[in-house]
Formats: sequence, C-alpha cells, structure tokens
Amino acid sequence: MSEATVPLAWDARGHGGDAIVLAKRIGIALVLLLIIAQSLIVVEARPQDLITGVHGMADIVRRAMPPDFAKFSDELWPALETIDIAIFGTVGGILLAVPLAVLAAANVSPSRPIYFVARAIIGFARAVPDLVWALFFVTAVGLGPFPGGLALAVHSVGMLGRLFAETIEQMDMAPIDALALTGARRIQIFTHGVIPSVLPSLLGISLYRLDENIRSSLVLGFVGAGGIGFQLLTAMNLFQYREVSLLLIITFVIVQAAERLSAILREKIS
Amino acid sequence: MLQVHDLTLRYPNGTLALTRFNIAVGAGELVIVLGGNGSGKTTLLRCICRTLAPSAGEVRVNGIDLAPLGGERLRRARLELAMISQHASLVRRRSVLANVATGALGRLGGLWTALGGLPARELAAAHGHLVEVGLGHLAHQRASTLSGGQAQRVAIARALAQNPRVLLADEPIASLDPEAAEEIMRLLRRLAVEANLAVLCVLHQVDLAYKYADRLVGIRDGAMAFDLPRAELSRETVRQLYLSKAA
Repeated sequence: MSEATVPLAWDARGHGGDAIVLAKRIGIALVLLLIIAQSLIVVEARPQDLITGVHGMADIVRRAMPPDFAKFSDELWPALETIDIAIFGTVGGILLAVPLAVLAAANVSPSRPIYFVARAIIGFARAVPDLVWALFFVTAVGLGPFPGGLALAVHSVGMLGRLFAETIEQMDMAPIDALALTGARRIQIFTHGVIPSVLPSLLGISLYRLDENIRSSLVLGFVGAGGIGFQLLTAMNLFQYREVSLLLIITFVIVQAAERLSAILREKIS
Repeated sequence: MLQVHDLTLRYPNGTLALTRFNIAVGAGELVIVLGGNGSGKTTLLRCICRTLAPSAGEVRVNGIDLAPLGGERLRRARLELAMISQHASLVRRRSVLANVATGALGRLGGLWTALGGLPARELAAAHGHLVEVGLGHLAHQRASTLSGGQAQRVAIARALAQNPRVLLADEPIASLDPEAAEEIMRLLRRLAVEANLAVLCVLHQVDLAYKYADRLVGIRDGAMAFDLPRAELSRETVRQLYLSKAA
C-alpha cells in the first residue's frame, strides 16, 4: 500500500482540530495538577518530616520485634469478639435492610411516599460513618462489643439497603408480572418471585459486607467498642509494641481469612 | 365462557385503542386473533385480563364481569383466567416443578405459602400438569436450563395449575422455531378440547392459525374486522387485513 493511500490522523483531522484537542488535554492536566497541589497544601504535606521520622519508625519496629506470642492466648477472646461484632452487625444489618430495600425499590415499593421515606432512612444510615455510630452507641449503652455490633448494624443498613434496593430494581420483572396474573397475593409474589430471583445477589452482597465489617470492627475498638482494636489501642498507649505486632499479625490473618472465605462463598453462590 | 361486549379503551391522550369490541369464546374452543402490528391484539388481551382498565364495556368470565372490579375482588375473579405470553417468564433459579406449582398460589392462603413454601399436594398436581405438557422428566431441573419451547410448555403447565376456565395466549410461539411452534399450537388445541378450556390466542402465523383455530378473529385499528369459522374465512380476507395496515 502506498503512503498516499494511508492518510495520517494529523492530516485527516486538520491542524485546527488537533490544536483544540491538545489545548483541552493541557487544560484537563492543569486542573488535575491544581487539585493535587491544593490537597498537598491543605494536608500540610511535609515529606522531609517523613524522612527525619524514619529513625523513630525504625525504633518502633525494632521494639515491636519479636512479636509477643506468649500473649497469644490472651488475644483469642478479643479476636473472637472482633469477628462476632462483624457477624452481629452484618446479620442485624441484613434483617433491617431487606424490608427497607423492598420499600426503597421503585419497582416493588407500595407507594411513592413510602419509597422516599425508606430511601431517606437508608441514605442517613449510610451517610453517618460507622465510627460515629460507634461513639453514639458507646454513649448510649456503654463500652464493650455490643455498641460496636450496633454501630455496624446501623451503618450496614445504609450500605446493604442501597445495594439490595438497586438489585431488586434491576431484576427481570416478567416473572413477577406473570405471578401477579395467576392471582397470587403480594406477599406470595414477593416470597415466590422476588426473593428467588434476587437471593444469590443479596447473599453475595451480604458476604462482601461481612468482609468489610470485619475490617471495620477492628477499628471500632479505638472508640471503646470492644474487640481487637481496643487491645491494640491499649497496647500502644502502654508502649507494649511487641504485643502490638502480635495483634497486627492476628488482624492480618483475620482480614485475609475473611476476604478469602467471602470470595469462595460468593463464587459458589454465583 | 368468555364474553367480551362493547369493550372500549381510550388512552388519556384521546387515542382510541379498542372500539366496541365483541367476542365470545366457548368452553373447548380455540379462537385465534389475527392483525397487523399495533392493531390492538395485545391491548385486547390486556383489557380482558385487566392489566389495563377498559374505558367501557364488559369482560365476562363464567358470567362475572371483570371490568368494574378492583383489588381483592378482581384478584379472585381473575383466578378463572390464565395468561401466557411471548416469553415464558419463569423464575429462572427455581425448579421447573416449583415454577408450575406457583400457578396455584392464587388459590392458596396461609403462612406456609406466604413464607415461600408450596404444599405437597400442589407439587404433586404440578407434576401432573408437567406430564400433561410432556415435560414430567424435567420437573427437578432449574428453569434456566430449559430451551425456549420447553419453557413455554412449562408456562402452559403453570397456567393449568391455576385451574382456569379461560386461557389467554399472547403470541406464545413468537420466539420459537417452527417445530416448537407447532408443538405449542398442538398443545393449546389439545387443552381446549380435553381440558374444556376456552382458549383465546393472538398469533401472527396465518398458516398455523388456519390449521389449529376453530374461529379466526381479525382486528384492525382496535376494531373487529371479522369473526368467522376457519372454513368460512378466505385467504383473501386475511390478506386484506394486513394489506390495509400496510397501506
């Protein structure tokens, strides 16, 4: 093929068109640079402090080694607490999120006002971070794992409610309409049509939420909501860095195991 | 069994979709409705099964007029009337047997069915309906594994589980290959005769309509064009039905 029969993009577009495209790209790049620059200013980023702080970090790592495995048996209960806070929060979240999601799904919601109220509740539960919910429940019911579980349950309502509602809205409505035509009642249509159609998706989302909640429950202990996070905070405050490293290993194992288990189960469901 | 009298549907924008339509289908009879696209065939069926509320007229099933009914009274009256459509609309993740048994839900109350359960006697009856449509051996398979023709037969079995007196079929063979289409039409014909059902079917396949219908009804612009026994209906009249739409 001769060179003349293959027009170059530059020739085909024309010089004017390319200049505009180039100007747009430079403009976008400048905007992105400005956004990054302002974030560096706002967070008062000081890379030199990081370099001078290397000695301090190295000192902590040195004092954290080897991990204090003698305390392993003492940490089992807090570890179990962490997992159970996540299970409690996820199950509680699912139980509250399912009915709310049905009311908040446009295609099955009984009325528009109910739809908007359900959406608002879900939105509010999601907008408030789980750490804030934990502070709220620690104030209400005191220290320990229970406020942690409550905090995760309420926050999960927001996260699960939205995803459940979207799943219901995206389902194929033809089998639901067909069931309605047989004269089935609303509750029967829901249990025989809606639930079987969306159940695998809901289970997948719930397992993913459980995985997320296990990560979150590790942090909730920092505000007194029990679990391994509370042990971690205490050990750090007492400069027990060898215990801290042990707790970090346990945390790593729990998070990895939860992630793997969740992925395996989700794969089986799909 | 099914009597439609002066059925009229006017949309809120003033468009007249059905004009004083009259039709009667007796027990054991298979009546096929022909008409071009947008002529009002599906609208007619939707008004009969009351997914659309007619502006005027009567839809009598076994003597009861469905047109003025609403809510629970409509739901109960509609139990006499089953509908199958172009797509089988099965719950894909449930078994074939469970899908068929859900046809009986309208007749069943109680906590068990509200919680998603199905009574053993209804499952047994559903199996009988599956055998009736020639798919007893697929009872425990997932609905998602069925072919188009099989799925449509399961939809018919689900309609039978409803124990209806009238069966409405909206283009039930539209997405099927010729062999599966023949099979469905043979089944509808057999059900009309053996189960003594009044079957009203919308179809685009004129040859199959001639082959299986007792009577053929033509619809054009929402109004009745003809209603004749197949022996009395000329091919030219049917051709005119579609020509007039094209013109």
